[in-house]
Amino acid sequence: MADHVHAGKAFFGRSVVSAEDFTKDEILALLDAARSYDRFEDGTPSFQPVPATLQGRVLGLLFFEPSTRTRLSFESAMLRLGGSVLGFADARISSFSKGETLVDTIRVVEGYCDAIVLRHPKEGAARLAAEVARVPVLNGGDGSNQHPTQTFLDLYTIREAAGQLDGLKVGFMGDLRYGRTVHSLASALLHFDVDLKFIGPENLRLPSDLRGQLKQAGRLGAEVTQLADAGDLDVLYVTRIQKERFPDPMDYERVRNAYRVDREALAPLGENLKILHPLPRVNEVATEVDDLPGAIYFQQSRNGVTVRMALLDLILGGRAGAGAS
Amino acid sequence: MSQPRDYRLHEGTVIDHLPVGSAARALELLGLPREGSITVGINVPSPSQGQKDIVRVEGLFLEKHESDRLALLGEHITVSIVRDGAVAEKTVLDVPDRLLGILACRNPTCITNEEQVQTVFLKQGGFPYHFRCAYCERVSATEA
Repeated sequence: MADHVHAGKAFFGRSVVSAEDFTKDEILALLDAARSYDRFEDGTPSFQPVPATLQGRVLGLLFFEPSTRTRLSFESAMLRLGGSVLGFADARISSFSKGETLVDTIRVVEGYCDAIVLRHPKEGAARLAAEVARVPVLNGGDGSNQHPTQTFLDLYTIREAAGQLDGLKVGFMGDLRYGRTVHSLASALLHFDVDLKFIGPENLRLPSDLRGQLKQAGRLGAEVTQLADAGDLDVLYVTRIQKERFPDPMDYERVRNAYRVDREALAPLGENLKILHPLPRVNEVATEVDDLPGAIYFQQSRNGVTVRMALLDLILGGRAGAGAS
Repeated sequence: MSQPRDYRLHEGTVIDHLPVGSAARALELLGLPREGSITVGINVPSPSQGQKDIVRVEGLFLEKHESDRLALLGEHITVSIVRDGAVAEKTVLDVPDRLLGILACRNPTCITNEEQVQTVFLKQGGFPYHFRCAYCERVSATEA
């Protein structure tokens, strides 16, 4: 634990571009810090009342692409810590629509706030922004590349629900090829002793570089096309299969229904299975699954607030800064 | 009867051990022809390679960014600097671990293809070279 506390200080003033930039101890420090914001009363999750450690601090939210969960949970996190937010949720109302470059936008906005959350359609935008900004930049998703805070909240959700991260059998189902949440979470899970399995259609299998990374680490488990062939699982991480990935709409329709989980499909996996989904879902998780005790995707979404509270506090030196002084 | 011309290099650079078929690409990378005579050998017998291409350019001395790009053409390429008709310096080209501003990212949705930013690529393993874009993180087999 002492290593985690020390690692937590490594967040101060730091940008968050990719989950791969963080060590295991740093990630565990973040997850420990996030837990301190959670409160359960009679099984109902709520938030611990916390001091306004970020009072007077301003978070810039620059969303060049639509977002519900990421933007609102960052906003909620900052407000719960006593801070304020500014920004835009639509690039059409920014100077981007007048042709202003991202670099210029960042250099302007950094003068208005203490940290910036950026979502941008171009891959690498957050890395570039972090290079030019004088304030920390938090990647809220750069195209199909990285979404590190989603990875952190996924790890937090799995650990809180399963009790630990080591020793788990984690299955990923759906779009394994283009799903950035799958890539990022699978890479982050390499820090832990887990068995990773992949369930998806042939044309949406893992990209070769990630498969190579998993294989090199000795963690590439079963790659199957049917959930029934995946064997035992502790966690099932379901992702949406996007229609635009299929040149032939008929192929999409076939796959769409083949990768839909309902109570019948999940029954053989037992009651202890934890089901996650980064949301939004279309039809890949039947609504009848929502009432299962292991269906924790809405809790997962809510955990985005606590994890982002911890992240903002560590980066901007709220409680962590006070404790360190 | 005219005398045979002297094609020996007096001041310039010899790019040797180019893979067969890459001489034209080497000239293109160097922006040649420009001032100075150029001698190109194609399918030249080579004890070590079987065959090779070779380029000799009078009056040319490579900048680092030029030799870095040439290095992408193959392994074991050598560059000899000739002064007063003799080889003054000979080096085997090596691709640096970080390529700065030399390649363009092939990912059309990479930020480097939109903003004016120097590209950064990280070498992944040996020849044939693959590079990871430091921005979009895509790995690609990259031709010079």
